[in-house]
Amino acid sequence: MSKNTNETILELKDVWKTYSMGEVDVTALKNITVEIKRGDFVAIIGASGSGKSTMMNLMGCLDVPTKGRIFLKSRDITSMSESELAALRGKTIGFIFQQYNLIPSLSAFENVLLPLEFLEHDDTNARARVTELLKTVGLSDKINNRPTQLSGGQQQRVSIARSLASNPEILLADEPTGALDSNTGKELLEMLTKLWKEQGKTIIMVTHDLNLAKYAHTTIELKDGEIIRKHQKSEGA
Amino acid sequence: MKVYKCFKHALGMVLHSKLRSWLTIIGIVIGVAAVIAIVSIAGGAQASLESQLNGLGGDILTVTPGFSRGGNSFGGRDFGGGGGQATTKAVTLTRTDVQVLRGTPNVYLVDTEIRGNVKVSYLSKNGTVSVTGVDQKVWSQITTSTIKEGRFLDSADQNVIVIGGRLASTYFSKPVGINQVISIEGNSYRVVGILNDQSSSIYMPIDMAFQIIPNKEQNIFDTLIIKMKDQDLLNETMTDIENRLMNSRHVTAATQDFSISSNAQQQATRAAALSSVTAFLVALAAVSLIVGAVGVANTMFTSVLEKTKEIGIMKAIGAANKDILLIFLFNSALIGFVGGAIGIIIGGILSGILPSLIGGGTVPFARGGFTAIVSLNSMLMAIAVSVGVGVIAGIIPAYQASKLKPVDALRYE
Repeated sequence: MSKNTNETILELKDVWKTYSMGEVDVTALKNITVEIKRGDFVAIIGASGSGKSTMMNLMGCLDVPTKGRIFLKSRDITSMSESELAALRGKTIGFIFQQYNLIPSLSAFENVLLPLEFLEHDDTNARARVTELLKTVGLSDKINNRPTQLSGGQQQRVSIARSLASNPEILLADEPTGALDSNTGKELLEMLTKLWKEQGKTIIMVTHDLNLAKYAHTTIELKDGEIIRKHQKSEGA
Repeated sequence: MKVYKCFKHALGMVLHSKLRSWLTIIGIVIGVAAVIAIVSIAGGAQASLESQLNGLGGDILTVTPGFSRGGNSFGGRDFGGGGGQATTKAVTLTRTDVQVLRGTPNVYLVDTEIRGNVKVSYLSKNGTVSVTGVDQKVWSQITTSTIKEGRFLDSADQNVIVIGGRLASTYFSKPVGINQVISIEGNSYRVVGILNDQSSSIYMPIDMAFQIIPNKEQNIFDTLIIKMKDQDLLNETMTDIENRLMNSRHVTAATQDFSISSNAQQQATRAAALSSVTAFLVALAAVSLIVGAVGVANTMFTSVLEKTKEIGIMKAIGAANKDILLIFLFNSALIGFVGGAIGIIIGGILSGILPSLIGGGTVPFARGGFTAIVSLNSMLMAIAVSVGVGVIAGIIPAYQASKLKPVDALRYE
């Protein structure tokens, strides 16, 4: 672990999330309070339906809580407009999805460039950065390939490059190895660990796989929408 | 995202759903092409009509036998000198009427004309055409036609004719030139002039015409064409002529048996008829444009549904609502623009082809052939309208797309 500090980068305070399913209200998260420290590698684990994806969506500013507050870098996101949230997401959080979620009509290069276009980065610098990122994930020779012309592992690497494009402080990975074979999954976790250790990224990973959780420094276990356990490895572990 | 980047992504969307985009574009193409063709053809017909009628000059009056009550009287010579159908008793125009007209103060010249269909042949090719017998002493000063080759009829001419441009060029198996001889009802006539028009008519001295046009009686005329000295006195002259003819013909306003029409009246009547026909056709074409717009809206709604997940991804990685809105709006505007541009080209081609297909210029309201006018204004208007149609049709789908919640959009399968 490189830059784990005591500074809180993301905080959920008394957060509730209730979904309306027809006439029935389903509470996905119940009174969650959790702090994520800058530079931590957090695994959120739990069985299917435990509320981990909901928590991930809230942490990623993709959704707003029914009750409670969420602070990202000390800013209360629950009171932000959709445009402010979009800008904050783009700058601060990089997403790695289980199904990669690349835009099929765009090449690997264009997919990685997209976040920088939304953030209106200077074109020349943006292109140089994308080239560099694709080189880092080992896809220099595939930059013009569309997602359908890439293997699952390659697509996930493009997705990692995309998540890093705007140099975000937080990487949110939702079951990142879910669609990969074990070797490719292992490579991916090593890549995330490297980003955590060498670049000081805060990594939040949602997974049901306890083996993957071993890579994390902090583990939060959810059950029925509540945190049942929070475990932190001791320093040097 | 910068606006031009949104445009670039919209263009990419159009190019990546080629078939559907093209199907939608076709809807706009049809609408725009129809509007352009109709507006251009109507514009051409209008211009041709105006040039003919302006060519006629405001100083020309036409007297025909018969009087139509309770409706518009189309007594002009361009409609074949009819107008007598409404009266039951056979009425005629005679030398006496000509004398009365010549005695009217503002009348400068009077041309006496008769008209009928005759059999013609040239180099063993036969046909039936319209022949007009004219007073050759004044015809050249009254007619609106111009000479392309040769000359008008002369006062001393016998057995010579002036023919229309089409009769000279394409009517027979070979073109007819000056000094060549055409057989009319078995008699030979030498061509001395070819008119600069697209008609198949023949003009000859009226004395000759009396001999060959069937059922014509000497000194009974179909039409009297008057050239006024001062065209500003149009209304006064018409009233004056009307009064004098009523006196000499011993008729009253109730029993009037002749009609006087002026070029100005004809122009107004025909222009009004043309613009109502045009308005009707443009309205029809506009309906197809509206159908095209519905097509664009449909495509955009489908596109938003289909791209819901992509919209979610884009929002997750930093797209603002306005970025999504712009991308989808540009997408539908592009469909409108491409449809409009292709529509203009096809409409332009149709405008070029249709007038000749309709019958070589025998289109009602515009005799003598005309060329459709595709104006820059109508093209710019068509582009503006089609882009506008695209944008309007795309507004709601684009707005819906921009308002999608990222978490819902990402979950969409």
